[in-house]
Amino acid sequence: MTLGAYTSALLVMKMGWPTWAALGAATAAAAVLSLLVGYPFVRLKGIYFALITAFLAEVIRLIAEQWRTVTGGSLGISNIPPPDPIVIPGLLHISFVSKVEFYYLILVLVLVTLLILYGFEHSRIGVTWFSISESDFLAESIGVNTAKFKVLAFCIGSLFAGLAGGLYSQYNSVITPSSFGFVYAVYTVIYMIVGGARRFSGPIIGAVILTFVPESARILKGYQPYIFAVVVILIIAFMPEGLVSLPERFIKIIRERRGHA
Amino acid sequence: MLEIKGLSKYFGGLAAVNEFDLNINKGELVGLIGPNGAGKTTTFNLVTGFLRPTRGKIMLEGNDIVGRKPHSVAEKGMVRTFQATSIFRNFTVLQNIVAASHLNPKVVFWEAALHTSSSRKQDEHILSQSLEIIRFMGLEGVKDTPAKSLPHGHKRILGIAIALAAEPKLLLLDEPLSGMNAEEVSETVGLIKRIWQRGITILLIEHNMRATMSLCQRIVVLNFGKKIAEGSPEEIKRNSEVIRAYLGTSKYAT
Repeated sequence: MTLGAYTSALLVMKMGWPTWAALGAATAAAAVLSLLVGYPFVRLKGIYFALITAFLAEVIRLIAEQWRTVTGGSLGISNIPPPDPIVIPGLLHISFVSKVEFYYLILVLVLVTLLILYGFEHSRIGVTWFSISESDFLAESIGVNTAKFKVLAFCIGSLFAGLAGGLYSQYNSVITPSSFGFVYAVYTVIYMIVGGARRFSGPIIGAVILTFVPESARILKGYQPYIFAVVVILIIAFMPEGLVSLPERFIKIIRERRGHA
Repeated sequence: MLEIKGLSKYFGGLAAVNEFDLNINKGELVGLIGPNGAGKTTTFNLVTGFLRPTRGKIMLEGNDIVGRKPHSVAEKGMVRTFQATSIFRNFTVLQNIVAASHLNPKVVFWEAALHTSSSRKQDEHILSQSLEIIRFMGLEGVKDTPAKSLPHGHKRILGIAIALAAEPKLLLLDEPLSGMNAEEVSETVGLIKRIWQRGITILLIEHNMRATMSLCQRIVVLNFGKKIAEGSPEEIKRNSEVIRAYLGTSKYAT
């Protein structure tokens, strides 16, 4: 995300690129980086892979902080313009200045993203990804180029992160190296786990609910992170499959009750 | 079909496999036996690309396959099973086989992503082929059971079925009978025979001597990474070196 945010912001501010092209470049930059580091990274598994991607994010943050002549150091870049209005003369004029307008832009992009990801997951590539997550050496033994499919998954994830970073910079108009820190990366993983990593809807539910929980506890201000942590720990402890498994659990409990009655 | 020459693998100073030679002809069913730690599974790992040999040549149908990744060895037609039960646990039996046959053919990336009609046709073909394998392996009764809740014997058979779905020419079975009860053993022995009768060449690692002797025409014995004997089951049974390897020697023995 940091890479996407800086790529698009710098292209617009210093090179005078149109904002939409810069968003595309942000997406591409993240995808290219993921391909470059992908093959060495996927030699690592599980937690080690997670750690090295977190380190990569940290490296990019440090570059953003230290390469002052380009990135503005820890002050970051400000006055990033919002996306150019979409104009079809005489028919349409959509600008993206207000928050509401931006909301609809993001909504559309999120829906498109979800559609694309859903398509992948329900294609043969999705089946292959599931088998690799079940047992990568078994998948490898029957002819799956597991490294290739892992890099592909990594690349697709990075690509959308790059887009998100670019959009964020144009929405917020200011980015600093700490806009998306390590904590932010951890949060996205927590969204996924809380929602349920094994289902398509899991991460979506996780992200929505975990955004609402701290918001609704806003009066408690300084205690927000604590409440957040308690909710997360409870969910992980009692619902290891995430919130998506909740309806099934209820149905099971009700069935059992009826069975005993 | 498979030609192994001077295959060696050192782990540090230990020679797990040492100057091992083996030829397997098309249509053979060869047994690979030896005491625990003799290097049988290491040999499988070397041959299928899961480990890189220190030295030696491995030729599959005339092509050198040393240094190839396991998936590319599998694509060339050599598929192995694992000693530890290896299945896609959270898939049903049918999903296991469908997934396995999905993985093997040359998937056209964009066709798969876009659900084109030719990919749909291929899907139907894969489904009917998978059902055929399930029937052949005698798993119809548990077709929709999640793999993790199968009894042990069925799990092992499913492991072989997954390998079959990858359409091997040469199948390497690593202790397919381990942990099975007598009834399951005799069933699986029959199954292995039927797979072989389908024209698939088989190399079998197995500790169950009676089963190995009854299945294989030729048996290779490995001890401390070295081939100590090779021959028909009858020859192997009488071979003094083999008996010594299995029973051990003692300086007090006469």
